[in-house]
Amino acid sequence: MIERLLGFRAWGQRWQGLASRIVAAVLGGYVLAALFSLAALALPVARSEAVLWGMQLSFLAYAGTVVWVFAVHSAWRAWAGILLVVVALLPFALCVWRAGGVL
Amino acid sequence: MDVKKTFRARVDALLVMSSKEQAKSRGIRQSMSDLHIWAGLLVGWILYSMFLTGTTAYFREEITRYMRPELVAAVPPPAAQVVPRVLESIRTQSPVTTQVSITLPTERKPFASAFWRDPQAPGRGFHNGVFDAQTGQALQVRATQGGDFFYAFHFNFHYMSAIWGRWIAGFCAMFMLVAIISGVITHKKIFTDFFTFRWSKGQRSWLDAHAGLSVLGLPFHFMITWSGLITLMVMYMPFGLQALPSQADRTAVNSEIRFFMPAGKPSGELAELRPLAPLVQQAAQRWGVDNVGAVQINNPGDAAARVVIVRQQAQRISTTPHYIMFDGVSGEMLQSKDSSGPAATTQGVLYGLHLGRFADIVTRWLYFLVSLAGTVMVGTGLVLWTVKRRARLPDSEKPYFGFRVVERLNIAAIAGLSVSMTSFFWFNRLLPLDMVQRAAWEIHGFFIVWAGTLIWAMVRPAKRAWMELFWLAAILLALLPVLNVFTTDRHLLHSLRQSDWLFVGFDLTMLVFAALHAYLAVRTARHRPRAKSARRKGVATRQDAVSLDRLTPGERT
Amino acid sequence: MSGPALSWLTHGAVLLFSLLGFACLALAMIRHQEDLFGAALRPHATRCVRVAGWLLLLLALGLAVSGLGWSFGLTAYSGHTSVAAGLVFIMLVVLNRRRGR
Repeated sequence: MIERLLGFRAWGQRWQGLASRIVAAVLGGYVLAALFSLAALALPVARSEAVLWGMQLSFLAYAGTVVWVFAVHSAWRAWAGILLVVVALLPFALCVWRAGGVL
Repeated sequence: MDVKKTFRARVDALLVMSSKEQAKSRGIRQSMSDLHIWAGLLVGWILYSMFLTGTTAYFREEITRYMRPELVAAVPPPAAQVVPRVLESIRTQSPVTTQVSITLPTERKPFASAFWRDPQAPGRGFHNGVFDAQTGQALQVRATQGGDFFYAFHFNFHYMSAIWGRWIAGFCAMFMLVAIISGVITHKKIFTDFFTFRWSKGQRSWLDAHAGLSVLGLPFHFMITWSGLITLMVMYMPFGLQALPSQADRTAVNSEIRFFMPAGKPSGELAELRPLAPLVQQAAQRWGVDNVGAVQINNPGDAAARVVIVRQQAQRISTTPHYIMFDGVSGEMLQSKDSSGPAATTQGVLYGLHLGRFADIVTRWLYFLVSLAGTVMVGTGLVLWTVKRRARLPDSEKPYFGFRVVERLNIAAIAGLSVSMTSFFWFNRLLPLDMVQRAAWEIHGFFIVWAGTLIWAMVRPAKRAWMELFWLAAILLALLPVLNVFTTDRHLLHSLRQSDWLFVGFDLTMLVFAALHAYLAVRTARHRPRAKSARRKGVATRQDAVSLDRLTPGERT
Repeated sequence: MSGPALSWLTHGAVLLFSLLGFACLALAMIRHQEDLFGAALRPHATRCVRVAGWLLLLLALGLAVSGLGWSFGLTAYSGHTSVAAGLVFIMLVVLNRRRGR
C-alpha cells in the first residue's frame, strides 16, 4: 500500500514539472505577451502606431516565451524568467493604462 | 610508443569532451523535439483542415465561378458605368436603404456584387446580391456559397459562432508558431540536410519528407502563421486598444488598418444623390482605370449622403485602406486617405501576403503549390507520429488506445477531407436548383460525408480504410469532369473549344488530384510496416536502440 | 512586348534560373556527387558549381525584381525558389531510385 502511494507520488513529481511548464507557457506566456502589447504604447511613436506594433509583435513574444519555457533546465527557472520579464514590463504597462494610452 | 600513447590520450579526451557537449546539446534538441511533436499532434488535425481549405481558398473566386456554371462572364465596362446602374437596381428594390456597398467587377470575378442595409431584411439587416456588370440587373444564380465556404471555414469553421471558430483557429496558429520555432531549433543541419531523402526507409523516410517540406516552405509557413494571427489581432490581443481612453481613439486605430465608414445619422432632409459616374472617374484618374475597388454610399437620398470610393486591392500588396470621400449631394471631396504609418503598413503587407489578393495567375499558382506543400507537411507530421510509435508497439495488432485514436483521426482528417471536399462539388452539381436552403445543404452534405469517413475509418482496419478512402477520393475527383458533362454544358471539351481556361484548369486540376490520390492508394496498398522485421532481427546494438527512440532530423546512423 | 507576355516571360525566366541554381547547389554537395557520378568531384570544381548556383539564384532575383517591381518581384521570387527547390529535390529522389538505392 505504501509502495503504491510512493509510486503515485513519484509519478506526480515527474509530471508536475511538465504540468507546471505547460501552465507557464500557455498562461504565463499570454500574460507576458499582453503586458508586452500594453507596454509598447510607451514607445516614442504615434499612439496608433505603438498600439499596432505592440499587437503584432506580441505574438512573437508569446511564441518565444513558450519555446523558452521548454528549453530551460527546470520549471522553476521557467517561472522565474517569466516573472522577471513581467516585473520589468509592469511599470510601463501600468503607466500606460492609468494615463489612458498616453505616456 | 610514448608519443602514440599521449596522442591517443588526447584523442580520447577530445571524444569525451565532444560527447558531453553532444549530450548537452541533445538535451535542448530533445526537449524542442518533444515540444514540437506534442504541439503539432494536439492541433494537427485542425491545422490540416485549415491548411487544405486555405490552400483552396487561393482560388476562391475561380471555384465560385465553377460552381455557378450558368453565369457566363463578359468583359465588364468601366467602373464609372457599372456603379450607377447597380445602385439604381438596388434602390429600386430597397428604396429606404441607408448604406450600399458595391464591389466592382475584377478579372477574377467579372460581376458586380453588393451588400446593402435594409431594415426589412432578415438576420443582421443586410441584403446581398450579384449583379450583371453591363445592365446592373440582379443575376439569377443557383444558391451556393461557392469557394467562399472554404475561405470562411478556414478561420471560422462551421456550426459554431464565428468568435469561437476564430479563437480555435488562433489557438492552433499559436501552436503552429511554436512548432515552427521548435522545429527549426531541433533540426541541427536544417538547410544543408534539405536535399537528403531516404526512400522507403519507413520512419526515416517520413521524417525526411516532413523535414524537407517544412524547410521548403519555411518562409511561407512563418509568414502565413504570423500573418494569420495578426489578421485577428484585435480579437486576440485587444489590450493595447483597450488602454485607449475613448471609442473614437480605438476606431481611429482600426481605421488605419481596415476600411470602416459607417453611415452617420441621416439629416432627415431629402436631397438628390449626385451622379456617381464623374466621382468614380475622379478616383480612376487618381489611382488608375482598373483600380477602383468598391464604392460605398451612406445615406443615399439624404442631405447627409456620403460617397466613399475605395481603392482596388490588386495593384499593391498592402491592404491598408486607400479611399476618397465625397459629399453625396455637392460632389465635393471631403477627405482622402493615401497612406498609413509603418506599423499599419506592416500589418497591411502581412495581411496582404496572407490573402494573396494581389497575385497574378502565375504567382497565384505558386501560392497554391507552396501552400499545398505546407498541407502535405502537416499531414506527413501526423502520419509520422503513428509510424514512429508503431515500431515500438509490443503487439502491432493491438495498439494502445491513444495510438488507435490518433490513427483513426489521421485517416478521417486527411483522406476523409479529400473525399468530403470533392463531394461538396458533387452536391453543387446534383442538388436541385430550386431547393430550399440550397447553399446550406451543400455545406451540410460536406459535413455529412466527412462524418461518414470518420465512421468508416473507425470500423475498417486502418490500412484498408486509408486505401479505400483514397480510392474513393480518386474516383470522385476523376468523375467530376464527367459529371460536368451531364449536369451542365460547360464541360471540358466545350471549355477547350471556347478557350475558357478557368473551367479547363479546374477540370484538369481535378484529374491531376485524382491521379495523385490513386497513387497514394496504390502506395498504401503496397506498404509493409517495417516494425516486424526490425524486431525479428532484434536490436543489433545499443546505438540502434537509442537512435530508434530519439531520432531527430539530421542524424544518420 | 505586351504586358501579359512580358509577365509570363519574366516568371518563366525566374523559375528556370532558380531551377538551375538549385541544381548547381545540390551538385555542390559531396553526397550527391557520389550518388550521381560515383565519386566526388575535385574541390575546385565543387567550389565553381556552388558559386554558379548562388549566382544563378541571384540572377533570378534580379530578373524578378526588374520585371515585376520590388514587392511583387520579391513575393514571386519566394514562390519560384520554393517550387524550384522542391522540383530539384524530387528529381534527386527519382534519379536515386533509378540507380536502385
